[in-house]
Amino acid sequence: MIELDAVAGAFELLTSDASAWLLLIPGLLVGLVFGAMPGISITMAMAFALPATLYMDFLPAIIFLTAIYTGAGFGGSVPAVLMNIPGTSSALATTFDGYPMARAGRHNEALGVALASSVLGCLGSYLVLFVVIGPVAGLVLKLGPLEMFAVAVWGMLLLGSLAGTYMARGLLAGAFGVLLGTIGFNSAGFVRGTMGVPWLLDGVPQIPAMMGLLAASQLIALVNTTYIISDESARKISFSKTLAGLRLALQYPKIILRGSAIGVIIGSIPGVGSSISNLLSYSETRRNSDDPDSFGQGNPQGVIAAEAANSSSEGGAMGTMLALGIPGGGATAILLAAFAMHNIVGGPSFIANNKDIVYALIFSNFAQAILLLFVGLGFVYFASYIVRVPLRFLIPSVLVVSNFGAYAIEGSAAGPITLWIFAILGWAMARYGYPVAAAVVGLLLGSLLESNLLRTYQISGGDYLTYAAERPAALVVFGLMILSIALQSISKRRRARKLAEAVRK
Amino acid sequence: MSILPNRRVVWGHLALVTVIVGITIAYIFDARGVSTRATNLLLIQPLAVLIVILAAFVLPGIFPPVTSDEAKMHDGETRMDLARALGIIVALGVLAFTLERIGFDIATFGFMVVTLAICGERRWWVNLGFSAIFTVALIYGYGAITPFPFPLTVL
Repeated sequence: MIELDAVAGAFELLTSDASAWLLLIPGLLVGLVFGAMPGISITMAMAFALPATLYMDFLPAIIFLTAIYTGAGFGGSVPAVLMNIPGTSSALATTFDGYPMARAGRHNEALGVALASSVLGCLGSYLVLFVVIGPVAGLVLKLGPLEMFAVAVWGMLLLGSLAGTYMARGLLAGAFGVLLGTIGFNSAGFVRGTMGVPWLLDGVPQIPAMMGLLAASQLIALVNTTYIISDESARKISFSKTLAGLRLALQYPKIILRGSAIGVIIGSIPGVGSSISNLLSYSETRRNSDDPDSFGQGNPQGVIAAEAANSSSEGGAMGTMLALGIPGGGATAILLAAFAMHNIVGGPSFIANNKDIVYALIFSNFAQAILLLFVGLGFVYFASYIVRVPLRFLIPSVLVVSNFGAYAIEGSAAGPITLWIFAILGWAMARYGYPVAAAVVGLLLGSLLESNLLRTYQISGGDYLTYAAERPAALVVFGLMILSIALQSISKRRRARKLAEAVRK
Repeated sequence: MSILPNRRVVWGHLALVTVIVGITIAYIFDARGVSTRATNLLLIQPLAVLIVILAAFVLPGIFPPVTSDEAKMHDGETRMDLARALGIIVALGVLAFTLERIGFDIATFGFMVVTLAICGERRWWVNLGFSAIFTVALIYGYGAITPFPFPLTVL
């Protein structure tokens, strides 16, 4: 599995070129700052830095970009925890418990937990990549539309578990989100639901919609509040509490391991990636918890699960990109563009001929993850000061920055208008007990579900059962899904019985 | 006499569900107008039916018993509290639609002044000063790190 000659070559490459190391900290800082800014995605941060790598050598250029990738991956969790704004879809599940923790005055701890989980998730994923880069390449090639559909349905099932007090409202929010996610061109070429608006042809702009549903709606709801954290004594910025958060994350190695495994596997599937892995990991952790009702109320285990999965997706996505030359998402697409800028073609032939460079990239990412711990600690300390800003200043400022971000992502007023519409929808949904997160998940998965169902329909000629019987991988995913639902229902029944017994006593 | 004795109508909730069902029906009619082939309606038609069914299940929450928690959910909220939230929504809409027309600088400054006032900043010199400094810092700061040119009028 591991080729020792290539490993020795990788060490030689890394020790002979100081510039590769000098770019690590600047790359992490660029990623952290950009990732923490609402509306600026990992992809945008990397795209912004891409021209700067043109005159670098190949290895330092890729290392610089992967450092931005790593930094921005964690940077996105800072606004997710402090302001309920997931800068990217991969930080969505972090908001579920990170923001309630912040509102309860546990922002230092939440950021510490997120940082430790990110670092460990990232380290774990590259460790896995180091060992299984070869076999992963073969496995990913075998995934067809039915398997992708199965994974997306699995993601959809999270809607049930994410639903709050009212099941019907959770499902309605999720189903409506999926419907909105299918607006525009479908993969068969039909244009639906655009109402003649040209920018809806490509679908509802996802990031502005997410920002509107989760962040702007929350800010509108806070208009009659003075501070994010009501209790003045809880607004303190404490380095020791951040460190306590780091230690707290270490108490849940099982959640980190599970999150990392989910992150690597899902992250390696092109087009799915970290946006689903953080939700799957969150849902699995909640399902396995003794106290699932505490999730969404500020349970640090939720933050650990989400962050371990989204940061480990980086390793999975890098694996697919290096092994197959297929970008799993925007960030790896930029990396492939950087490969092309240096006249290098990614894919199986690159791995076969340049194993030393691949291992050098993996080792450099180990170093990035460890450095992220220290650079990130300093960063979150300063970022935490946001909880001391009165909301009357914070609400207009964050709304304006979100609008700028939405405009920058779309390059037109389509972004701010989408943000506004979804802010109203999110505000109304939250006001009447609908889980807004379910609508967001639906919106993210809508087009993925439809395109994969369509491809399965086209390939199978409508005979799904015969086709499914020929796809053992899809059957395994469906089997796991059914098992997961059954276990969830058993554990729910067990909890209800325990509760009934406790009441009788 | 009330049609539903001992029940209350939560008008905001009714409006939300009406919007969801209305958009769903409009969407499915539009989609069916484009084509009735399976490759067009495979997912969205069953989904639209599911949404309408789920909306029916939500109805008891729109007309809750007057004594239920649901009916009393927003009892502590004053008209002014609601007006503030609606004021922010209107200001956000004006910002979104005017950013390109009147320039990001003027639209941002105007939005900041109005929303700071709505959020409770009563000192006019603080409001104007913060709005002006924030607008300038944001225009130059954000403009420097994003590749898109923001249309400006003054700055």
